[in-house]
Amino acid sequence: MDMESVQLRRCLMVGAGALGNEVLKCLVLSGFRDITVVDMDEIVPSNLSRCLFFREEDVGRAPKAQVLAERASSLDSAVTIRPVVSRIQDAEDWDFDIVLGCLDNISARLHVNSHARYHGAPYVDGATDGLSGKVHTVLRDGPCLQCAMNRSHFKVLERRFSCTGRDTVFYQPKMAAEITTTSVIAAVQVREAVKILSGAEPIRHLMHYDGFSGSSHILELERDPGCSNHLLP
Amino acid sequence: MVVRVRVRNAETGATVDMELELDNTVEEIIDGVSAYWEKDPGAYVIRKGRRLLRGQQKVQELDMQPNEELELIPDPEGGNR
Repeated sequence: MDMESVQLRRCLMVGAGALGNEVLKCLVLSGFRDITVVDMDEIVPSNLSRCLFFREEDVGRAPKAQVLAERASSLDSAVTIRPVVSRIQDAEDWDFDIVLGCLDNISARLHVNSHARYHGAPYVDGATDGLSGKVHTVLRDGPCLQCAMNRSHFKVLERRFSCTGRDTVFYQPKMAAEITTTSVIAAVQVREAVKILSGAEPIRHLMHYDGFSGSSHILELERDPGCSNHLLP
Repeated sequence: MVVRVRVRNAETGATVDMELELDNTVEEIIDGVSAYWEKDPGAYVIRKGRRLLRGQQKVQELDMQPNEELELIPDPEGGNR
């Protein structure tokens, strides 16, 4: 891997929850030096059992992105981590070399997917649900997140599983993040980011992980000819 | 023409045989098996071997071989809670 190159690249991480904590740990310890973290939420007690960098005294003290940036910066004095307390839909800076998604809803994922693609940044999306998880790599020339979605995704598009309940449109309790699955998915996300920035061949296009059986599958995907993200050259 | 397709539920291992028209879509298969197994509302995808199928793909495009199975997989969407 080309770690010198990795150190010079600008990285955007979207989401500072369970997956974001694990991904940021791996990013810093893998040698990333310029990281921006975007998240709008505040820390709530339920975050503490599955977020490496959050402490009891952080509840209500500061937004997730700010606390995460402070704590992860202590891992390496050479890293610069910029917190942005905002919805990703309100973010204006998309000048990044790679984007990692640590989100909890389809709407935000589609926003990051389309913006990363438009701005030419590879996107590595992670997702978990209990003991299962997924990593999806989106490259400039390949199928995107939206290409993998179908009617069932759009039925739940506007669900919002926010810890604070802010912006909740429709709420249905789901299994909380399971830390071992979160760690596996985060590690694979960062590994794929390093591979992409090093010019190595990443996963094409998805890895589905099943923690019950301990198995994973690499799944190939075709571009959806009707996907709006591929209408632009 | 009717095509018989077997779908496996990745969460339980159960299978169901469906009789489909050539112009049925993958999305219609997802809807059908989700209703049959009374799946929770959520996002699902179907894979055929190493290929993740697109929702709009039609049965006639799937090139199903005898005894070949499709698999219904829940598509995770969490990570920030």
